[in-house]
Amino acid sequence: MANQNKDATRPLLSARGVKRRFKVGDRIVEVLHGVDLELFDGELVALMGSSGAGKSTLIQVLGLLDAPDEGEVHYGEVSAWKEPPGERARLRNRAVGFVFQFFHLIPELDAVENVLLPAMIGSDPDLKARRKELRERARAMLVEFGLGERLDHRPAQLSGGEKQRVAIARALLLDPKLVIADEPTGNLDSTTGAKVLDLLLEEQKKRDLTLLLVTHDERVAARCSRVVRMKDGRVVDPRG
Amino acid sequence: MYRTFLSWRWMRTRKTNIIGVVGIAVGVGALIMILSIMTGFLEQSKKTLRGGLSDLSIEPLFLPLESGSLPPLDPRPVLDAVRADPRVEAACAQLVWYGILGQGGGDAAISALRMSEASGSQSLAGVKLVGVDLADEYATTALRADLERAPRSGATRVADPQRPFDPPPGHKPDGRPLASVVVGEQLARAWNLRRGDVIEVVTGVPDAEDGDFQVQNRRFVVAGTFRSGENEMDLERIYMERAELVDFLGTGRQYSQVLVKTRDYDAIGRALQSDLAQRLSDLGVLRGLDTGEVRTWEDHRRSLLAAIKNERVLMGIMLSLVVLVAAFTIFAILSMMVTEKRRDIGILTALGATSGGVSQLFLLVAFWDALLGALAGAVLGVLGAVYIDAIEQWLSRVFGVQIFDRGVYIFDHIPSVVNPSWVALIVLGAFLCTLLFALVPAVRAGRLHPLDALRHE
Repeated sequence: MANQNKDATRPLLSARGVKRRFKVGDRIVEVLHGVDLELFDGELVALMGSSGAGKSTLIQVLGLLDAPDEGEVHYGEVSAWKEPPGERARLRNRAVGFVFQFFHLIPELDAVENVLLPAMIGSDPDLKARRKELRERARAMLVEFGLGERLDHRPAQLSGGEKQRVAIARALLLDPKLVIADEPTGNLDSTTGAKVLDLLLEEQKKRDLTLLLVTHDERVAARCSRVVRMKDGRVVDPRG
Repeated sequence: MYRTFLSWRWMRTRKTNIIGVVGIAVGVGALIMILSIMTGFLEQSKKTLRGGLSDLSIEPLFLPLESGSLPPLDPRPVLDAVRADPRVEAACAQLVWYGILGQGGGDAAISALRMSEASGSQSLAGVKLVGVDLADEYATTALRADLERAPRSGATRVADPQRPFDPPPGHKPDGRPLASVVVGEQLARAWNLRRGDVIEVVTGVPDAEDGDFQVQNRRFVVAGTFRSGENEMDLERIYMERAELVDFLGTGRQYSQVLVKTRDYDAIGRALQSDLAQRLSDLGVLRGLDTGEVRTWEDHRRSLLAAIKNERVLMGIMLSLVVLVAAFTIFAILSMMVTEKRRDIGILTALGATSGGVSQLFLLVAFWDALLGALAGAVLGVLGAVYIDAIEQWLSRVFGVQIFDRGVYIFDHIPSVVNPSWVALIVLGAFLCTLLFALVPAVRAGRLHPLDALRHE
């Protein structure tokens, strides 16, 4: 098993007993019934499950976008949901990168500006000092991803595959150790989707990233080092 | 940094923001323009309202003082005391009394008085007799200018404004020479008086001994007319030398008021007023400090001036509603934008923005709107106020309708006064008002839970 040699080390991200409830009308529906999950350095993990299983809710809790009602999420040694909101915002900015199914680029910004957004949002002083370098880096990444001709194009002028490449570049700009990708090919045709997936997996290997990949596709899952399956708000087999 | 960058980008690329900017600009511009023009009108009316009033007037009550003595009947001590003040440019004494002007001799006037209904109004007129010392009067009031102002048709001015009370040329008295008077142009017109005509003035004065009214009458020769432009003055005033009026009335009173011209009324008028009141009551001329015997011209017109001020305040408040509406536009636009930008708020949050940062981002959008709108409005408003005459003429020409009827007012242009501190206040007010209104949607944006928007397109 891929994770066996990592057992000795502390996980990059761990979730313990995560519960999340939503209010639907006057009923309270529990979507996550106490999820445990560990992600280690350099792991490529597929998160699978039928729709309604709680995948999206889980990654939003893990990605520090949605607070769990119970349980903890640790980034290294930091219990992220016990930190003040500003510190959590910093973790979202530096520790994790997101790739969404629907790309989620800002329509008024061109490709380079969209990639640069995390650097502009971050309040760490080193980001200010590295502004020029980061701009160069954003351009270089887009060129590398085959978007050299599209640098000053707005999202509306880009194809779906191009948008997702911009989104991947944005997620990787500040070198987070963890990238959460929520069905990154789910909104692309199969040829384009395959190319985008190749790019993502290539970058994962090259950068030794921990990649949590939400997918419905067993073929995609087969390319991952571990598959975590969810059913009815529980992780069926956290060890894969 | 992303806040400034992104807010400016949104400002530039989203057309609804242009609407907000235009809304604020129109509101601010209209407010500045209308206030400037109304201020111009009010200043003009204030000038008209002041008319021939001098800066300060001193009107002793001539009642026994606490010491039991009467104030001096002679104006000299008052004049000396007033002129001793370096803030006073000139001062003059006037004796003012009321009389009735009768046509065709004193007997006719008295009989007309008895049967006023039957004889009609033409043969009688109430007049204000004003006795002046010419040199002092010229230095203090506008009488000289009134005498030299071009006459309207039919009126005749005095032969020599330097000596208006000289007998008119060609006047040949058939007995004792008559004293000359100068009458208001409207009075002269109503009575068809010409230079050299003889008039009879009847008046009543209290008898020095028993206080009963005694009827006095005297004939005068008209030496010419004057026009002050003020209806009341031109219709009822008759000027003559003060010594002549003192003699005619025979009450011993030498003057009824002292008029004062100051060097800079706006700066020192009020201070001078209280200083003079103090000094003159020390001298035993006035009854006290708060008896209203020393008054500024504004005191004479207090209620009308207060009305003008009221009007302006009221207008300012009502016009501020325009700015309020503009600010509300921003509120609406921003609220719309927050709803529309829910997904982007989610993206920004996912990339590390705090809720405070998101609020600031939207507040900055309103900031640009307010800044550009208020500045554009200030420029528009000031230009509009300065060139209102040209604008009005152009509009009148284009639409073929006279918008501003110059015949209605005594001025021949649309007056406007641009007050820089008001402009600053309006700009600042609109700016702050907009930001205040924007605070609600901005805070809402920060509190927005972005998840639902991120989940699905």
